[in-house]
Amino acid sequence: MIRPLLTLLAGVALSCPAFGQGAPSDGYPPAPPIGPLAPFHVPATEHFVLANGMEVTLVQAGSVPQATLSLKIYAGGLNDARPWIADLTGDMLKEGAAGRTSGQIADAAADMGGSLSIGAGSQLTSIDTVVLSERAPDAIGLLADLARHPDFPADAFDRIKTNRARSLAVNLSQASTIANVAVARAYYGNHPYGAPLPVPAQFAGYSLDDVRHFHAANYGARRAHLYIAGRFDPAAVRAAVTARFGDWAAGPERLFLPPTPKPGPQVILVDRPGAPQSTLRLAFPGAQIGTSGDFPLQVMDTLLSGSFNSRVTRNIRENKGYTYSPGSSVNFRPDDSLWMLRADVTTAVTGAALHEIFNEIRGLQATAPGEDETAGMRTYRATDPIFSSATPGGLIGMLSNYDTLRQPPSYIANFVPNALAVTPAQISDSARATLPLDRMTLVVVGDLKTVVPQLKAQPELAKLNFQTVTVP
Amino acid sequence: MRVRLIGLALAALACMAMPATAQTAPAKLQVPVTYYTLPNGLKVVLSPDPAQAIVTVSVYYGIGFRVEPRDRTGFAHLFEHLMFQGSAHAPKGTLIGTVTASGGDLNGSTRFDFTNYYESVPSNAMERMLWLDADRMARPVIDDVVLKNQQGVVGNEVKGNVLNQPYGGWPWIDLPMLANSNWYNSHNFYGDLTQIEAATVSDAKSFFSAYYRPNNAVLVVAGGFDPAAAKAMIAHYFGPIARGAPVALPDISEPVQTAPRRLSRVDPLAPKPGYAIGYHVPPRGTPEWYAMGLLDQILVQGEDSRLYRALTKDAKITGDLAGGINDSLGNMFNYRGPMLWDVYFTHDPGRSEAEITKAIDAVIEEVRTHPVSAEELARARVKMRSALYSNVASSTGLVDMLAVYALFDDDPAAVNHITDGFDKVTPELMLKVAKDYLRPEGRSTYIIEPGAAKGDAK
Repeated sequence: MIRPLLTLLAGVALSCPAFGQGAPSDGYPPAPPIGPLAPFHVPATEHFVLANGMEVTLVQAGSVPQATLSLKIYAGGLNDARPWIADLTGDMLKEGAAGRTSGQIADAAADMGGSLSIGAGSQLTSIDTVVLSERAPDAIGLLADLARHPDFPADAFDRIKTNRARSLAVNLSQASTIANVAVARAYYGNHPYGAPLPVPAQFAGYSLDDVRHFHAANYGARRAHLYIAGRFDPAAVRAAVTARFGDWAAGPERLFLPPTPKPGPQVILVDRPGAPQSTLRLAFPGAQIGTSGDFPLQVMDTLLSGSFNSRVTRNIRENKGYTYSPGSSVNFRPDDSLWMLRADVTTAVTGAALHEIFNEIRGLQATAPGEDETAGMRTYRATDPIFSSATPGGLIGMLSNYDTLRQPPSYIANFVPNALAVTPAQISDSARATLPLDRMTLVVVGDLKTVVPQLKAQPELAKLNFQTVTVP
Repeated sequence: MRVRLIGLALAALACMAMPATAQTAPAKLQVPVTYYTLPNGLKVVLSPDPAQAIVTVSVYYGIGFRVEPRDRTGFAHLFEHLMFQGSAHAPKGTLIGTVTASGGDLNGSTRFDFTNYYESVPSNAMERMLWLDADRMARPVIDDVVLKNQQGVVGNEVKGNVLNQPYGGWPWIDLPMLANSNWYNSHNFYGDLTQIEAATVSDAKSFFSAYYRPNNAVLVVAGGFDPAAAKAMIAHYFGPIARGAPVALPDISEPVQTAPRRLSRVDPLAPKPGYAIGYHVPPRGTPEWYAMGLLDQILVQGEDSRLYRALTKDAKITGDLAGGINDSLGNMFNYRGPMLWDVYFTHDPGRSEAEITKAIDAVIEEVRTHPVSAEELARARVKMRSALYSNVASSTGLVDMLAVYALFDDDPAAVNHITDGFDKVTPELMLKVAKDYLRPEGRSTYIIEPGAAKGDAK
């Protein structure tokens, strides 16, 4: 269908010139210069630690009369070998706490102008709300009730679990989830990072006692950090924090559990018969945050595939039209760093797209990028904290992320100069150190009868074993 | 953005209706707004905030996906892509490369009644952004090469978001197609792949001439910048662009729906059934529309809402209730034509459509027959105010509000007094709006039948 049409269009081009190709000498002024980036100043924060070990960070930010509150508790997927126990526990907090019913909790949040959202990740559970400024002290009380005094009503548990089971089924029907699970299993193995989702039969066995136990074993002041950003009365907020959290039991220390990733090469395939696109994941271990390889890796990622102007995006999207939104990123976790490229490419060009991606990687490994390209890419990466600081929610996300990764405040303060200091040679070095193609972990979710021959035709893949798996 | 807290006389009125726990008078937004129109018809909105290190430059054109050639579904969106492909003085790659290299981000989107483009950049790059946006407004370069390339990209976008995605297109494409009668509102605006592939450079030329002129656009600059300098730059770069012919939009009005509609389809990728309903809402900006906004808050927004209580907590039908006015592709403010209020969720196969409809009807009939309490109305207003604040707390959210109120209402400063409209809503008006608009015969229901259901599902 596509090819005849394109031929037709090519013919049209002969007789129908493009519009808009104005002469450069039409009087339009030359491009104005872009001045130097203004120095970045980290927003002033107030940080204190309660006697029980709970940390608190307050930031006056923005001018909208709202306060964003985020209570982070280092109790996440890492803390239980059974995926989604932490998530179920989070869900149950809203179902009753300190004698308040779920309806009363929902009304209380709404009256403050907020809604409560609770989510669990691998490191922590986050309880979040955005409220009108004058209600910030009340919101602190609500967060304290949920985190400290959940009632775990049995009648709500079955409903919560049924909803989660359906959500699990929907998640597992998405190509992106399937690909992410396949990568995690192959790369992290039996570590909790290797199982971002439970399998349905496993999930069916979870009980309310599991949730109660998870809360009792993992929630506590020493694992808690409350962030508040926006506009609020700091004295009233300090008083509310002390009153509502000051007598929380210290609880356990935060858990760290470094993974031991499985080195590649490994090629993992998941069949999705008839899929119009192949969902690709290409993964390698990266430099740890805060090490000498950190910023070179981040800028290398930006230049290779992690930005709209990256080489891979320009190639397989803007030149070839194989894909819509390819990308890559460095996922830092404590004692872990994973570089991963993601793309959904039209099935018929799966091999061709991988060929281009491999070529871009090899090209960067062989030849350091030019100074102009490097300058743009390091500037793009360098502005991360500037953009994060533009909203209260973004600010909390940035501060809590680097706290989770145990980086000192100087990490953010020095982020801009450190990113701007990355050289072309360092980028090429990072591509060689991070992306050895003979050690790749590659996942392809797609129509295997069409895709496998395309993969076999790639020299980088021809001699590798292809392992076909199912998810779940 | 710079927003200051001020107490207003109106606050005292609102306070009387507030629950006893909310003692403080509600604050009002005061977003600075400078608004003017260039001789060529380009509307300009400036909203400086000296505290910001970032500036957002954005152009909204008054053309959305409702209005596109009949045999070219998806064309408005395809054209959005083409506007990133280069201009006379900034060949392909220059725009994206310049924005990225300055440390910024850019994007565009096509919606019911507008197509927008923005760049968020460190303030030092503002003038270059104005230069780039003026050049592509005046002289985009669209040829067969970039058209063919972006047909591939857009085809992949549709594959990723619809064809390879469980529940793809549901309900955000399905429901408007079912509930509306006028072709402009009821066609597949993401586009049939064959029609996307059939588009020509000539189509693009006609579309550009008809709709992408300064007199059908608004330029918004918000964030950290000097407004006097910006004003001079805007005159310099955008001033010479020729005005186009007056834009003639087709009739996009919808006839009153007189009978319920229902459609279902089997989604081969979906593991669970999906249930969606939509109702037509009152015309935007009317007192009835403000009342509908508060009904939306009461019915479906948040876990305190009536439908959440009924469907999630009481009947235990779903856990992923969602909905709203223009919910899937925007919010209740950023459109101007006919619009739906919708409610949608997945559920397990053991729950029948009849059972679900009955549970929803009980909630809908309640608001059609009994006025809401003062306490519930006050809570709805607080939620609405907070949602509005959250919207304008991000630069792109603020720019969106300023742009659509300039484009559709010639009043970008509306962002500062929009809560007045909600404060005037009475329980009686909400009752009347519920009676008039949440009629059983005005409802459209779109069901997803799970083609990937496993035998053990329950």
